[in-house]
Amino acid sequence: MALLSEVKRDYGKLKNYVNGEWIDSTSDKVIDIENPSTGEIIGKVPMSSADETKAAIEAAHEAWWAWRETPPITRARVFFKLKELIEQHFENVARIMVQEQGKTIDEARGETRRTIENVEVAAGIPSLMMGYNLEDGAAEGIDEDAVISPLGVFGAICPFNFPAMIPYWFWPYAVSAGNTYIIKPSSQVPITQNYLTKLVEQAGFPPGVLNIVNGSHEVSDTLMEHPKVKGISFVGSTPVAKYIYKHSAEFGKRVQAQGGAKNSLVVMPDCVLDRTVSNMLASYYGCAGQRCLAGANLVAIGDIAEPLLKKWVEASKKIKMGYGLDESVNMGPVVSAKAKKKVIEYIDSAEQEGAKILLDGRKAVVPGYEKGHFVGPTVIDKVTPDMKVAKEEIFGPVVTYLRMDSMDEALDFIHSSPFGNAASIYTSSGKSAREFRYKCQCGNIGINVGIVAAMAYFPFAGYKDSFFGDLHGQGQDAIKFFTDRKVVITRWF
Amino acid sequence: MVECDFPECTTFGSVIRFALELEKGAAGVYEELSKEPNAAAAASTFTALAIAHKKRGELLEFTRQQKLNEMILEPIQDMKREHYLIDTKTPKGADIKAAAKFAAKIEETSSKFYLDSAMIAKNLMAEAARIMDKLGKESLANKAKLEAL
Repeated sequence: MALLSEVKRDYGKLKNYVNGEWIDSTSDKVIDIENPSTGEIIGKVPMSSADETKAAIEAAHEAWWAWRETPPITRARVFFKLKELIEQHFENVARIMVQEQGKTIDEARGETRRTIENVEVAAGIPSLMMGYNLEDGAAEGIDEDAVISPLGVFGAICPFNFPAMIPYWFWPYAVSAGNTYIIKPSSQVPITQNYLTKLVEQAGFPPGVLNIVNGSHEVSDTLMEHPKVKGISFVGSTPVAKYIYKHSAEFGKRVQAQGGAKNSLVVMPDCVLDRTVSNMLASYYGCAGQRCLAGANLVAIGDIAEPLLKKWVEASKKIKMGYGLDESVNMGPVVSAKAKKKVIEYIDSAEQEGAKILLDGRKAVVPGYEKGHFVGPTVIDKVTPDMKVAKEEIFGPVVTYLRMDSMDEALDFIHSSPFGNAASIYTSSGKSAREFRYKCQCGNIGINVGIVAAMAYFPFAGYKDSFFGDLHGQGQDAIKFFTDRKVVITRWF
Repeated sequence: MVECDFPECTTFGSVIRFALELEKGAAGVYEELSKEPNAAAAASTFTALAIAHKKRGELLEFTRQQKLNEMILEPIQDMKREHYLIDTKTPKGADIKAAAKFAAKIEETSSKFYLDSAMIAKNLMAEAARIMDKLGKESLANKAKLEAL
């Protein structure tokens, strides 16, 4: 199968986008952007300074009031234009993601679709940010209104696993609501956001409304500490999410910080076995296991354990690895050599703790892509709840197989985890499904669904150490996060 | 002959790519048949079918862009590429009967591909399944039309 063509071989040194202009960073610190499938360097990203970040914040602040005064329907029109532009550039956006992140083209196309859906939902802002009122609400002849207002400048600190979509969980809602915005893309995968921002520029957003500052912690710290930034959105690991939450709060910011996960998929004896296996494959191996909604622990209940394991290993062996620009590939590499090393160390630890490696992806090599960071599908049997691989987030295509006697035992196990991102049950019993969704203390619950990815008009939830804050990304939650309610009490003499 | 690059059907994207190659191959065959002097009486039928197959290609492109959802990406493990390959080497000098027979074989293979894809897609993506089913039935109707020539 021939590969789809790459949009470019080399994207050069990326620029920042500040106040409507593409600016070379003055920083002499740059890092390479690697194609994780081929090992080739495809670009360089500057590590911008605190001063450059402050300049972007000032530009966003300067642009804010005029944008806030722009009627919501006019703001929405720019988003309609942006949607059309992303549709036109759909395939390029997807292919760039494959190049810099390593996911498959189908995964990248799906992510592009989800990116567009967030723009579509945000374009509904005239309805989404309507306030409410009550005649005689305060007393006879005295009316009371709640007006929804934007707040100013917001910022996002973004992860590597969804280069297009995750910034779009936030900024379209913030900006359509009348705020201005600064994105710090992941320094591992900044090209997609760079490309999308060229479309933002073409769509006609006024200068300073959306800004991109490439870099690392210096940019993040400046965003968190600057008095003109009203709030921070973050997605990444739990330790960093905790730091972002605490540090931003110290500086009086609103925060929504999505952390790590250790998601369990619970398979009941009455599941529809073939469909269950097929559905779970995408959960465990999709995006090479680097989704915060990826399946991690596979918990088999009772008699299903042996037949499920047999089918699971057979199906896992058929997963085709390779460069995601080959459309027949099911799974790409993990994002970097460092990520691969970490995944392998986890598999090693399982072996040392007495688990049994039934399918071993540690030595996976894809012919023609020997420099790629591939880890093959890995199935670890005889895992017990106390093992490191059952408790910690691996972020790779590794299935830790546990056997339990009942759904209650599985729920106890799920609740013993500090994480609470997602959990799923596979069953044909409505009663079991109802009990699971009622009792399970996770933010995203799947019933015969292995990747519980909320659509743009629902919040991307998360409990416990998987989320710090109270309002999530996407949908009405995002609108609430990026606005405040102003109460007006009116009496006419 | 139209050069086609048929992938293994292991993902939704590769099934759509396979379908696009089928459509490209079929459209190319019909264009060549429409220029065949010995089958001139059926030229307008072949031209119409070439246009129809190009439109089907556009529908498939649209489906790939609009229907693919990040959360529904289950691997496809039950479709064998070799069951659906078509011959695009148009017979030179074919009369109407021979040309129609050649094209009908392509439509038969296409219909099998689409109806099998629809069965698999039904569990993954109902909207895509409906489109596959529609294309499969259209191919069957095309086959019947060709056999009547």
